[in-house]
Parts: sequence; C-alpha cells; structure tokens
Amino acid sequence: MSAPAILPGELDRGAERAILHRQLERTWATPAGFWGALTTVDHKTIGLRYIVTAFGFLALGGVLALAMRWQLARPESRVLSADLYNQAFTVHGANMMFLFAVPVMEAMAVYLVPLMIGTRNIAFPRLNAFSYWIYLFGGILLWAAFALQIGPDVGWFAYVPLSGPQYSSGKRADIWAQMITFTEIAALAIAVEIVVTVFKQRAPGMSLDRIPLFVWGALVTSFLVMLAMPAIMIASTSLILDRLVGTHFFNPTEGGDVLLWQHLFWFFGHPEVYIIFLPATGMVSSMLPTFARRPVFGYLPLVLSIVAIGILSFGLWVHHMFTTGLPRLGESFFTASSMAIAVPAGVQIFCWLATLWDGRPVWRTPLLFIAAFIVTFVLGGLTGVMVASVPLDLQVHDTYFVVAHFHYVLIGGAVFPLLGAIYYWYPKMTGRMLSERLGRWVVGLIFVGFHLTFFPMHFLGLQGMPRRVYTYQPEMGWGAANLFVSLSSILLAAGFALFFLDVIRSARRGPVAGDNPWDASTLEWATTSPPPPYNFARIPVVTSANPLWSEREALPVVTGLRVDRREIVISSVSDATPQARESSPRDSIWPLVTAVAASVMLIASIFTPWAVVWGAIPVAAALIGWFWPKGLPEDEA
Amino acid sequence: MRALAPAVLAALAFAGCQRETRDFRTDPPVLAALDDVAPLPNRIGGAPPDVYVALGQPYQANAYALSEGKRLYDGMNCKGCHADGGGGTGPALLDGWWRYGPDIVSLYVTLRDGRPRGMPSYADKLNSEQLWQVAAYVQTIGSYRAATAATSRNDQMQSRPSENRGPARAPLTEPPSR
Ligand code: HEC
Ligand code: HEM
Repeated sequence: MSAPAILPGELDRGAERAILHRQLERTWATPAGFWGALTTVDHKTIGLRYIVTAFGFLALGGVLALAMRWQLARPESRVLSADLYNQAFTVHGANMMFLFAVPVMEAMAVYLVPLMIGTRNIAFPRLNAFSYWIYLFGGILLWAAFALQIGPDVGWFAYVPLSGPQYSSGKRADIWAQMITFTEIAALAIAVEIVVTVFKQRAPGMSLDRIPLFVWGALVTSFLVMLAMPAIMIASTSLILDRLVGTHFFNPTEGGDVLLWQHLFWFFGHPEVYIIFLPATGMVSSMLPTFARRPVFGYLPLVLSIVAIGILSFGLWVHHMFTTGLPRLGESFFTASSMAIAVPAGVQIFCWLATLWDGRPVWRTPLLFIAAFIVTFVLGGLTGVMVASVPLDLQVHDTYFVVAHFHYVLIGGAVFPLLGAIYYWYPKMTGRMLSERLGRWVVGLIFVGFHLTFFPMHFLGLQGMPRRVYTYQPEMGWGAANLFVSLSSILLAAGFALFFLDVIRSARRGPVAGDNPWDASTLEWATTSPPPPYNFARIPVVTSANPLWSEREALPVVTGLRVDRREIVISSVSDATPQARESSPRDSIWPLVTAVAASVMLIASIFTPWAVVWGAIPVAAALIGWFWPKGLPEDEA
Repeated sequence: MRALAPAVLAALAFAGCQRETRDFRTDPPVLAALDDVAPLPNRIGGAPPDVYVALGQPYQANAYALSEGKRLYDGMNCKGCHADGGGGTGPALLDGWWRYGPDIVSLYVTLRDGRPRGMPSYADKLNSEQLWQVAAYVQTIGSYRAATAATSRNDQMQSRPSENRGPARAPLTEPPSR
C-alpha cells in the first residue's frame, strides 16, 4: 500500500475518505514491534494493558483468598502458618484495593472516556504511559516481596503502632508503604488526565448535560483521587520516615499521635471505596439504557447523586474509628453523615429501577450482571447502615460481619458492574463478542457462589469470629459454617475461571461484533471495533445526550484538523463550543525511562534515605529527556 | 540470560528468607542443641554450637529475631541496670568497650551464666533461642557498622539514635573512666 504524500500543514477538509484514513493512520499509528510496544502513548493500548494487568492481579489475589479459605475450612488446620496467613490477608487486601479495584476502574476510564466524548487521545498521553509503568512496577514490588516471604503482614490499612518501627521489624511494612506510593502516583496521573480530557476535549456540542454518565462517574472519581490521595501519601511517607530515620510522627511519648495515622488513612480510605464504586455506578448508568431500550431515567438526579456521593464521601471517614472512642457529638455526626450517603445511593437505585420498569429490558449478560449488582449492593448497603450505628459497630467491629459487609459492597458494588462492563465493551475493545451462553453461566456461578460464600460470614461475625485470625479452636463451634463458606468459595472461583476462559477464548474465536453490536447510543459505538489509532476519522458533533439514537442516519462532523501532525479539538468547559486545535504528543520512550528511574529511587529509599538524594538525579535527567523539544510538527505551537 | 534470571531470583529469595523469616515455634531438640556453646576457659570467646552454624547464624542477620531481642531487653528489665545502653549500675553497652568481649558467644555466656561483678544469670528465665536473640540485639545497640538487618526506634522517649542509623559517627578511642 503506497501511502499518499502528506503536505505539511495539510487539513482534512474535502479529502476522500479512504485517503484520509490512510493519512491519519500514518500520523497516529504506533509502530509495530517491541519498540513500539514500549513507546506507545495510545490510550487504547495503554488502557487495555492496564485492564489486563489489573485482572491478572485479581486472579492472583483470588488464589490467595482460596488459600485463606482452605486454611480456615477446618479448625486448627495447618495449611498456612500464622506468619504466612498474616501476609496472605494483607497482600490479598492491599492487592485487591490498590492493584485491582482502583486501577481497573481508572483503566476503564482511560480506555473509554476519550472514545465516549469523541476525541482522539487522552490528555497528557505520555503521562498516561508513565502511569502504567509505575503501576506495573509497584505491583511487581508487592508480589515479588510476597514470593520472597517478605510480604507485608500488617493488614491492608497498616495501623501504627503495629506497622511502626517498634513492632514491625524488617522491611515488610516499608514494602506496603512504598507500594502505596507507586499506585498513588499512577492514580494521580490518570486523575489529572481524565479531568483535563473531560473538561477540554469533548466533541463539539457535548455540553455538560450530554456527557455520558460513565464519564461523569470517572470525572467525579478523578476529583476524589486528587483530594484523597495526598492524605495517604503523607501518611505512608511519615510512616517510612518514622521507620527509617527515626522521626516521631506516630510516637506519642515524643509528641506524635497514633490516631493521626487512622485519621489520615481513612480520610483517604473512605473516599477510596467511592473511587471504586462511583465508576461502577457510572458503568451501570451507561449500560442500562442500551438494554432497557430507552434513555436513562433521571439523568439530572443521577449526575447530582454522583456529585453528592463524591462530596459526602469526605465527611464520614471517622465511622471506621468508632471503637477508638469519640466524643458524643463526633459519634452522632459521623453516624448521621454515614447514613446520609444512603440517600444519593438510593436515588441512583430508584432511577435504575425506573429505567428498567419503563423500558423493554433485553436480558443479555451485562443486564444480568446489573441485576446481580442491584440485589447484592442493596444487601451490602443495608449492613452498611447497620455498622454505621455506633452500638452495633462496637459489637461487630473486626469480626467476620465486617468482612461480609465489605465484600458485599466491593464485589457486589464494583466487581459485578465491572464484569458486566467487560461483557458490554469487550466487542469494542477486541472486535469480537463474548459468548452469551458462557456468560449466563458466569453470572449464575458468580452470583450464587458469592452469596453462599459471604452470606454465612454475617452469622460467623455475630457469633464472634474475629477477622484476621489464622485458625480457631474446634470448641468455638464455627467449624461447620466455615467449611460451608470454603466449599462455596470454590463455586465462586469456578465462575471467575469460566469468565477468564471466555475472555481468552473469544479474543480469537468469538463471533465478529461490528461497530455497534448492542445498538447503543453513545459515541464510542460510532467508530469501528476495535477503534483505529485516531479513534474517529472526523470528530463528531453532538446534538443530544444519546447521539447515535437521535442521529440514526449519520453523525454530523467537524473538519479542519491537520493530518500531518496529531491534532485534537479543544472545546469550552460547559457548552463544548470548539475553541482551538491542539497538538497531541507522539510516542516516546522517556515515560518508561522515567518510570524505571523513579522506581529505583522509591525502592532504594526503603533502605537508605540517601536514595532520595542520589536517585533524584536520574529522574531529573529522564524528565529533561522527556521534555526536550524534538523538532516534530507536534512541537509547534 | 535464561539461566541467570532464576539464579538471581533464587539468590534474592535466599537473601529475603534469611533477613525476614519468622519462626514462631522452634523444635525442642534444636532448642537444646542451641545451648551447646563451647566457651574458652576464661569464659570469653569460644565456639558457637554446631546447630547455630548449621542454621546459618540465624539471629544476627534476621530483623524479626533482633526485634524479639529488643522486646526481651525491655521485658527482662535490662534497662534497670544498663539503661538504654548508656549504662547505670551495669556497664554501658554502646560505647564500644567490652569487659567480656563483643562476640556473640561471649554475650551468650554473659546472659546465660551472668558475670561476677553483678550481672545476673538469665538461664532460668529465657530459653536458648531467646538468649541468642537478646545477644544478637545487644551487638546492634551501639550500631558501629551499617547492618542489613537492625531494629528501629521504640515508641518511647529517645536517648540515642536508633539501631538502624549505624554506622555510629565516631568510634570511641578513650576507655570509659570506670
Ligand atoms: C541487676 C542489674 C543488671 C541487670 C538487670 C542486667 N545486668 Fe547486665 N550487667 C550488670 C553488671 C553489674 C555488669 C558488669 C558485670 C561484670 O563486670 O562482671 C553487667 C554486664 C553485662 C554485660 C557485659 C558487658 C561487657 O562489657 O562485657 C552484658 C552484655 C550485659 N550485662 C547485658 C545485659 C542484658 C542483655 C540484660 C537483660 C537481659 C542485663 N545485662 C541485665 C548488671 C545488670
Ligand atoms: C474472589 C473472591 C474473594 C474471596 C473468597 C475473598 C476472601 C477473603 C478472605 C478470606 C479475607 C480474609 C479475612 C480475614 O481473615 O480477616 C479477605 C479479606 C479482604 N478482602 Fe477479600 N475475597 C475475595 C475478593 C475480594 C475482592 C474482589 C476485594 C476488593 C475489591 C477484596 C478485598 C478484601 C479486603 C480489603 C480484605 C481485608 C484485608 C485485611 O484484613 O487487611 N476481596 N477476603
């Protein structure tokens, strides 16, 4: 294929379609091969990589969960030693929260947001590449440490003084703290990209009230990330300083404060669960109209409740600390605010029910997952309201009741919608459908397996079984329920195994999907499956909240972008009126180099504070390389 | 290349294990064998038990063992006589001067049998493994050299830099006045 010559400064006006495609392909495509894979800044490649990696961590964490359940199946069992069990629950929890749930939600946003709002790449694409590498290295740090028997063993929230210098000797707690730093950097980078992408790169005409709800979810989540993550950064850095150079942030006898840790952690930790949950609700709101065959009911209340949840989520962190003893007013305030968040969550549920009620539901796999989500999440929400009341929380704190509660909201509230979203967007990402028949089995096995595994844990908790114990005595009478739970978890695991099987098999052999297999209404379905490197040959113009339903014939488009360099449309924040053309960076190896340099610095600083001084030099050098003008057309103003 | 990766990993694994393993229950025969030290006639210096060598000298380079030693140092009230290592009724343990030698066997014998001018014996309070842990910890109090494994500060008032801040700034040259 001989590529047509591209003149410098040539615009896409009037070009014949086939020629335009080839010109854009030349400008936007990532070169094939190993080097291309290392240097790419395509949000789709990076997003997909992120998603696959996160699911890899889900599988690893799941294996640990099974090992824990095997250990707990019988009293006094000796499958895992006490030490190994401590590491297992810590690595499982930290892995699921920091390496699976948060990153996978952000990764879905990295892949989908630019497509849903009709632009050609995410804002700051090189930062995006950097974010992936940092995330990957952080994940490897945690799992390599676990493989070497130096996995952290202080719980996923690493309370001091247990994780502090006196009671946690060695480097285990440092590895936890530094893994946090890695995932934090990665998440903050994505948050900035998403906010800028959503605010400034929307297709012309996509005013604020036409933004797809998943994009709203991703936007609010990004603000949560930016406001919440600094708290944990400070906390984990202070912890490392306490442990390595003997500062006294958490040492009460020298003027430090132990509870300071809990405040800093949960000021991040509670928004964290909404960082996981909000994108999931966004997925539900975006998928539901497609299967209910009508626009979503109550767009405005849905947006407002996403924003409200985002704001309220910063006002209830103390409910994790009821048992530390609080002033009466504090107890009442945080009980009230914890219960208040059930209101916007309830509004969302009712909007979804109304959408289904008034629509003509098509019960395909994604909708089945949504139904499973609604049932499970409501149950988890109910136990949430229960533990929000101080007297009950004092009884069940740190028991299996809490383990049951948070798996209901995490798996029910985030993993179910996520799996539905994979079934829904898989055709867009790969060009092939997942199997509908296997999909039904997957929903069934996971739903039934989940409830059989986690529902009995409520009773175990009420009977007094504490969490984080590696074994229990036969006289406690918890044996039968635990055996049942462990056997059920095999069912749950089988469901996940089937899901992975389907995903791997369909990538090659699934039926070909076409551009818009579900007849959905949002912009990502307006391009081919999988989308070309430039996403859209011409940037669409949006005339309604459901563009593909209101413009059945053909979408109106804008022209006037250069084809000889990577260009995107910048539009205004509220009305998305086009304002400018802006260049979008090309592939670069520097994000990877910077990530390697930063990782070396971060890991070495576990061992000596001097690593920060000397390690900063390669990082600075890499950044200079990153920003050095290369004389490309993109460097012009 | 392909052979190198597993080799490096194995080496790392070994290093990792050594530094961080946590044994919560040592077998009784091993415990008994760990007590077989062979001190020299003046009870300073000597050979450690064979099993100690066979285990790979597990206490000095293991962070968990050292922190157990530190915990016992508090719990057995060594502080009552040696303070935070600075000395009181008993001699200082961090000034680099030793009446009975700084090697692990001398320290073990000091702790197990006591010393004539007022150091009590701990043979009936600590088992052999715990004695090794305390002995290993005592070696790190002065933090003369940077160690791969060392404990950090306690959540208490601080009277000296923590053990993992070694090496100490300047070794002492003058013997203490006492
Ligand atoms: C009743 C006070 C007392 C207590 C308690 C005590 N020691 Fe001692 N310790 C002494 C005295 C006195 C000496 C000096 C003995 C001598 O010179 O013969 C000494 C000597 C030593 C030495 C040898 C120092 C050298 O210079 O060689 C070491 C090591 C030691 N103690 C460690 C400990 C440890 C560890 C503990 C706690 C398990 C402890 N001591 C508890 C009083 C005490
Ligand atoms: C796939 C099925 C899963 C099973 C069978 C499972 C099982 C378990 C078990 C047995 C524990 C330890 C309880 C204890 O001893 O205290 C645990 C803890 C935990 N799990 Fe899961 N889990 C699963 C999935 C998940 C997912 C998807 C997430 C998050 C998105 C998650 C997050 C956590 C957290 C945060 C902890 C607490 C760790 C800690 O105590 O520090 N789990 N899980």
